[in-house]
Amino acid sequence: MMRRKLALLAAAAAMALGTNAALAQTKVLKFVSWQKDERGVGDWWASVIKAFEESHPGVKIEWTKVERGAYADTMTTLFAGGTPPDIVHLASFEFQKFADTGWLQPLDPYIKDSKLDLKGWAGQDTCVWKGETVCTMMLYFGYFMAYNDDILKKEGLSVPKTYAEFLAAARKTTKDLNGDGIVDQFGTGHETRGGGGQYLSEMMNYTLDAGGRWTDENGKVTINTPQMIEGLTRWKTVVKDSLTPRDMSAGEVRQLFADGRIAMKFDGPWLWPIIQKGKAKDQIKTAMVPFNPPVGGSSNVLAIPADISNDNKKLVWDFIKIATSDPFQTTYATLGASPPPSPRADITAAKKENPNFDLLVEATKAASNAKVDRIPKGLEIQFNEFSKMIMEEAQRMIIQDLEPKAVAATMQQKAEALQQQ
Amino acid sequence: MKSGFSLDLARPSRRHWLGYLLLAPAVLLIGLIILYPLIVSVDLSFQNVNLARLDQPRRPFTTANYERLFASPDFWNASWVTFKLVVIVSFFCFLLGLGTALLVNNRFRGRTLARLLVALPWAVPEVIAVVIFAWLFDSSFGLMNWIFIKLGLIDTTVNWFSSPGAAFFVVCVTMIWKGYPFVSIMMLAGLQSIPEDFYNAARVDGANAWQRLVNITIPSLMPVLGVTLVLVMLWVFRDFSIIYVLTGGGPLKATQSLSIMTYEQAFGFFRMGYASAIGVVTLIVCVIASRLMMGRAPDNI
Repeated sequence: MMRRKLALLAAAAAMALGTNAALAQTKVLKFVSWQKDERGVGDWWASVIKAFEESHPGVKIEWTKVERGAYADTMTTLFAGGTPPDIVHLASFEFQKFADTGWLQPLDPYIKDSKLDLKGWAGQDTCVWKGETVCTMMLYFGYFMAYNDDILKKEGLSVPKTYAEFLAAARKTTKDLNGDGIVDQFGTGHETRGGGGQYLSEMMNYTLDAGGRWTDENGKVTINTPQMIEGLTRWKTVVKDSLTPRDMSAGEVRQLFADGRIAMKFDGPWLWPIIQKGKAKDQIKTAMVPFNPPVGGSSNVLAIPADISNDNKKLVWDFIKIATSDPFQTTYATLGASPPPSPRADITAAKKENPNFDLLVEATKAASNAKVDRIPKGLEIQFNEFSKMIMEEAQRMIIQDLEPKAVAATMQQKAEALQQQ
Repeated sequence: MKSGFSLDLARPSRRHWLGYLLLAPAVLLIGLIILYPLIVSVDLSFQNVNLARLDQPRRPFTTANYERLFASPDFWNASWVTFKLVVIVSFFCFLLGLGTALLVNNRFRGRTLARLLVALPWAVPEVIAVVIFAWLFDSSFGLMNWIFIKLGLIDTTVNWFSSPGAAFFVVCVTMIWKGYPFVSIMMLAGLQSIPEDFYNAARVDGANAWQRLVNITIPSLMPVLGVTLVLVMLWVFRDFSIIYVLTGGGPLKATQSLSIMTYEQAFGFFRMGYASAIGVVTLIVCVIASRLMMGRAPDNI
């Protein structure tokens, strides 16, 4: 009996030792992302991880989801505590602070050694910080228009092609359908509650079409211009006249549109999967936005932290190489349902699967050709403060019924002050 | 053989050492969890730091964060918003908490269920409560707008989160709903500890219900009231999730409390030094307010 017990103990000890040895041999790379459970793009990341683990026996990727709302806090805390994730996934409006603090590894030597061709890579210019490439762009998008064909037809409207046509259509389709005194169908839908970044993007539909830009090519603030004043006037009209539901987050507005309560919506490629799950799926059609140029911009980036070991840096670079390889850029188009940043990606399959893919590509190209980005040049580091300031001043304009001209002057002054900080 | 150093805890003069030894792990843990971050935060507030890192060399000492803070209209606005929230929410929490406690302290059929209902909001997680209230007060499809229109109180929908006054009102209502059950539970415990003899004696003396409330109930509840008031005030002072999820501090900073401002500066604008300065000032205000409240409590007993 005693002998059997001893044998069992020995076996257990051997197993424990074996497991420990196996654990010791397995290297774990930490990867934190907000896109883990996202339909489509989350599946694409999973496929990249699988391919990496298969090509690197003994190396595992520990993939953790952190909600977008808590992402900046979590990443800042991880970096500040000296334990950054090995694979750094950041939004394209937040990586600059990390790069500026010296937390991101310059990638130019890796790009050169591995001969990674980033020519024509959409949005890659954004990843150059103080003359060094610190990340690779994973998505650059352009806004397209989705519209509810039934709602437009019911009002005898055709698809708007200009701002004036859009405004007329939005006014005609904003309605109290059941006569209870509450508007239950809206001409368009914008996020008017939430973060400054999204608010800025929503406003840009109108400011870009009016010819306005936050800053010029040299980073000089150009808000107090007739074009921007016209853009602000348009934004004020749409929000103040309640042509969009008020105080809603971007997700809520998208869902309302997908359920047939909004006539026209301007958004990026991520809107398509939401439409597919909505009640009005069969009534929704797509077109180019009635604005020129469309809103566009860089979305998210991959980077390597400066503080991890050289061995881990090499492994993370291998991960980036897989993610940016032609085959995976091709599957990004199909799984992510978005135009990939790589100009070499084969999008034939994506076109077959998604009838709007050509439109998405066209919208992305239009935004890219017009050099549109949500992050204004010269205000990259101050982007969060800048977007918050723009949102507050725009809200003040609507709430206190201020003249757009005066608001543009205030915005200009505050943006310049931010730049000088 | 005699060792060089021995700790004889059995000796009467050293018995108290055992107490210190047993307390040491807890004290160390508290020091690590509470004191260390506090010291780091105070230290950061005197440095010009954006993204802070513990292993980075200390930046030169500066009082610039405090100078900027006290010159900032945003800080004074946040202080005013916090003060208004503390006063309004604490007052109504007490009014409702005491009222419901007096109600469920009576004997009636269904008292257990009534007590459960009174305590229910306390059990609901803050974020869920906020989601419920966000829907109730939704500007386009919310229940409150529908009810007010049906009752003829308004003829057009109220944009609850686009109007500074309305947004502040919604935040207050949510915080009161979430906070009053705690007061109610504390008051109920206090009420049950008041001897019935006091009331019987007062009845014999001809005291009516109001006189019994003012002369017996309230004074007897004072010790509980003092502690509860401090706890509620501190909760309102530091509460973050209700305001953050409902309004994010907006519109036009109408609901931006000191805790929201601290978070925004630290994790929105990555100004850790400045955010630490706000945190330190908030802490000092909390300590002074608590001390004043607790200091008054013994006089009232």
